[in-house]
Amino acid sequence: MLPASQVEELWNLLGKGLRATQLYLPNNPVYQRAVDNIREVFRRIWQATDDLVFTVGEGELRWEDQVVYQHSQKSENVAWTLFKDGIRSLTFKPGVEDEEVVRFLGILQKARTLQADAADDLLTLLWEQDFHFVAYTFRELISDNAVPIEPGETAGAPASSAGGGPRVVEREVPQGAGTAEGGSGAAEAAPAAGLVSTDDFDTTLYFLEDKEVEYLQQEVDREYSQDLRRNVLTMLFDLLELQTYSTVRAELLSILENFIPYLLAAGDFRSVAYILRETRVVLQRARELIPEHRTALETLPTRLSQPEALAQLLQSLDEATVHPTEEELGELFQELRAEALPTLMAWLPKLANERVRGLVMAAAERLAQINAPEVLKALASDDHAAQLEMVRLAGRLKLPGAPDGMGPLLDHGDREVKLAVVEALTAIGSPSALRLLERAIEDAERDVRIAAVKYVASRGHRNAFDRISAAVLGGKLRDTDLTEKIAFFEAYGTMAGAAGIAPLEKILEPKGGLLGKRGDPESRACAAMALGKIGRPESRAVLERARDDKEALVRNAVSRALRESGA
Amino acid sequence: MSEPTAGAPRRPSIVETVAASDSFLRLAGREFLIVLYTALRSLKLYPIENAQVQKALDDLAASTRQVLEAEHELEVRVQGEFIFVNSIRLRLDLDNYASFSHILGIFRQSGIGAVRIEPAVDRKELQVFVSLLLTYAAREATPNKVFELGQKLTDGGVRHISLEPPLESDEDYEEVERQKDAAKRTYARGVAVTKEVINSLRMGRTASVKKVKRAVQAIVDQVLNNEASLVGLTTLRDYDEYTFTHSVNVCIFSVALGKKLGLSKLQLYDLGMAALFHDVGKSRVPLEVLNKEGGLTEEEWRIMQAHPWLGVLTLFGLRGYGEIPYRGMISAYEHHMKTDLTGYPKTVRGRTLSIYSKVVAVADGFDAATSRRAYQTVPIQPDQVLREMWENPRRGYDPVVVKAFINLIGIYPVGTCVVLDSYELALVHAANPDVAHVHRPVVRVVATPDGVVMHPGTLVDLAHRNPDGAYPRSIIKVTDPAKYGITVSDYFV
Repeated sequence: MLPASQVEELWNLLGKGLRATQLYLPNNPVYQRAVDNIREVFRRIWQATDDLVFTVGEGELRWEDQVVYQHSQKSENVAWTLFKDGIRSLTFKPGVEDEEVVRFLGILQKARTLQADAADDLLTLLWEQDFHFVAYTFRELISDNAVPIEPGETAGAPASSAGGGPRVVEREVPQGAGTAEGGSGAAEAAPAAGLVSTDDFDTTLYFLEDKEVEYLQQEVDREYSQDLRRNVLTMLFDLLELQTYSTVRAELLSILENFIPYLLAAGDFRSVAYILRETRVVLQRARELIPEHRTALETLPTRLSQPEALAQLLQSLDEATVHPTEEELGELFQELRAEALPTLMAWLPKLANERVRGLVMAAAERLAQINAPEVLKALASDDHAAQLEMVRLAGRLKLPGAPDGMGPLLDHGDREVKLAVVEALTAIGSPSALRLLERAIEDAERDVRIAAVKYVASRGHRNAFDRISAAVLGGKLRDTDLTEKIAFFEAYGTMAGAAGIAPLEKILEPKGGLLGKRGDPESRACAAMALGKIGRPESRAVLERARDDKEALVRNAVSRALRESGA
Repeated sequence: MSEPTAGAPRRPSIVETVAASDSFLRLAGREFLIVLYTALRSLKLYPIENAQVQKALDDLAASTRQVLEAEHELEVRVQGEFIFVNSIRLRLDLDNYASFSHILGIFRQSGIGAVRIEPAVDRKELQVFVSLLLTYAAREATPNKVFELGQKLTDGGVRHISLEPPLESDEDYEEVERQKDAAKRTYARGVAVTKEVINSLRMGRTASVKKVKRAVQAIVDQVLNNEASLVGLTTLRDYDEYTFTHSVNVCIFSVALGKKLGLSKLQLYDLGMAALFHDVGKSRVPLEVLNKEGGLTEEEWRIMQAHPWLGVLTLFGLRGYGEIPYRGMISAYEHHMKTDLTGYPKTVRGRTLSIYSKVVAVADGFDAATSRRAYQTVPIQPDQVLREMWENPRRGYDPVVVKAFINLIGIYPVGTCVVLDSYELALVHAANPDVAHVHRPVVRVVATPDGVVMHPGTLVDLAHRNPDGAYPRSIIKVTDPAKYGITVSDYFV
């Protein structure tokens, strides 16, 4: 005999389970404990009874005429959730605890959150679950218009046109007509309207053959593996192309415009790409397209490339738990317009997912290569991160037009940007890039100067020599650190050739005898290194003479320079 | 209950007819049972040549004739503790309870659920029947007793009396009735919901998908539990409500066909939703075009032919994008396309027709052609429609789907009016579940050879053979029920 208290306990636990379903994910220990408790009490109950049948009231559940569940708050009351959608009895059977109780709680929870105008209610949701161990009866939602079906009043009406009388039906049948199987009549009669013919009875015709059954099964499989959205989009574009009614086209355009955000939210990037592609096709092929619709079609792809829309897309991609395939995303990014470039650049540093980042980068590279004006626009962006990414991208792609947009960055950018600019200019290596690098030699930032001078030297950019020479031979490097000094001196040595030996010798070993004033050891060491870069016998001779200098720093530099110059 | 109507000077109202017939049957039926009891008792006590026996048999023959002349059929059915004569339950009273109880007992002992006597029965056949009934009632009960008795009747030359085993139980009988009622409720609700949706859309209001879902779920449940009841209701052809009943009929046929194709419950639901919405685009076709009788102008046809793609637009507007009914859109769009993609609407982007669209196309084509509607005042007979679908590839239906459809509803679909080789008229009640007997459905004989219409008529399985292996009844012709004043749907509700 099952005590009512045990059934009450079950509902108490089911209530807790419902709250756990609402609050926690399935892997949460609280949720798992709630479900385990429900399972445990069900198992105990099944030792005493074969099923549990509850009568559903507006505010309570009854079992064996006893109230076993009620709740003061209507919104929390399970009985009300069941009752309001028409359920009047609920049955649990052994086995419900295995898996169905979890789904049942999920459905109850979902039903509670449905809006009044939702496409579902508890009944439709329960039906879709096709439970085996949960049964319910319900009151039909009677439609106001439902008209009961009753027999008409024509039953038993007299035979109107045929009339009554003896053998009236027989008169309809031509003499000699009979069944094809040689029933009671002769079968040889000529075919007449409505008469059954022998061929109709070849019943083998109506057996479905194995290959036909297989075909039907394949068709059903195809039905459920097809891309439904693509199918519907194909229809919409056929209609857009073929239906010339302007009101219809306006409606179709509106559907497509509204469809795009829906598809993006659903992560169906491939379909969005399809829309953008087919838009071009329709623009080419559709007849009688009025200017308004043409404009709308033309701006459709642009809209997705606009900062707000694209930012939404990138944000959703970055936050998504399941990412689209590279192919899917690639297809969409392929359709982005040039104006997307600044937004892509701004988002690149923010993207956490490497794969998405790679795809966005690839899209940006494609757009940058074909849209110089957009590159300049991106370089002029107010967004520091976007600027930086654009500069780097320009360098990687060796975009020849990019230096035009980089000049201002050298004037006003911060250290990071300037360095990136120098790196990019170095990669681009065009005359305009070198001109900018020449300027960078005198930049206020030490790292920028070093990078610029190194690159200019490596390229032997003669126009920059005067600036380097002035720095080396003038006093500009006096207060700089050793690294910068080395960079400038080596650059000087690389570019100056034989003409540089005398000035460098003067720095390394100034004339003036014993009383002559020597320069600082750093400058002298740098001069030695520069002489090593010149690599001529005369420069080596100068170095040989300084091999035993008293300054260790100078001696080391001389030794290194001699090694480098092949001595 | 049968209604003798041939040659009647005035067509009585159905209420008058029913009242008169009920009253007559209660009296004549009770008299018949009393004389049957007397004949059984006399024959049990005396030899056949005894005058009392002969008189009892004379009375039985006379009473039988009286009922048959008035009713053109005589069926005695036992159900639980009740006896029904031509579906009228006879009351027990102090004058008859012993006789009725005796007959109930004899029927039970012989394993008989119902005895049907046809108008051509003669006194000799009644005598053989009474003798055999006594003999078999005295024997030990076996499950096949009623069939053995039936065989003996045939062997004894009794051609116009047939027997049926009892329904399993009262519960079964009630279950059948309950299922029929459930089918009717499901159908009515389906029509009401469809009407509500289409009218809402026509008036530019939002339509609720929830009710449609419930209606389709109920249709799926009904098809899975008791397909025959619901398929029978597709014979309802309400001219004024054509658009709505047609949508529900297409939904029922599609779901039933889907079941035949082995679809799961949820797949049947998908198919049902797609089928119910297949003509939703007609909500945008002006009523003056939709309901125009006679021919349509070229422009009007153009508008009518737009309904598949108008359906797509309509379904986009049905509700927010929370749940877009893609399959419904596809079937709405494709259901007038042929397998070679001709038909309408025209398409320029490659596509492969959905199997659901092919199913809906067949269900739609069949129901539309067999219905009377604004621009088709004379419906085509169901078997002719099927034959055209089957034999004419230019119609563009998928031949395998058509074949499966014929498998489902038979060569003679439910509701087809047929002439039997007995020159009786019958309505096809259900396809024979054995496809080898696809041409021998279960029929309801609804008119005598004289054209006298009976209601509810008698169910006969045309695949049933005589002991000599011959079929007692076969179809020889399909005919128009309207010629005989028969309203097909009245036999299915």
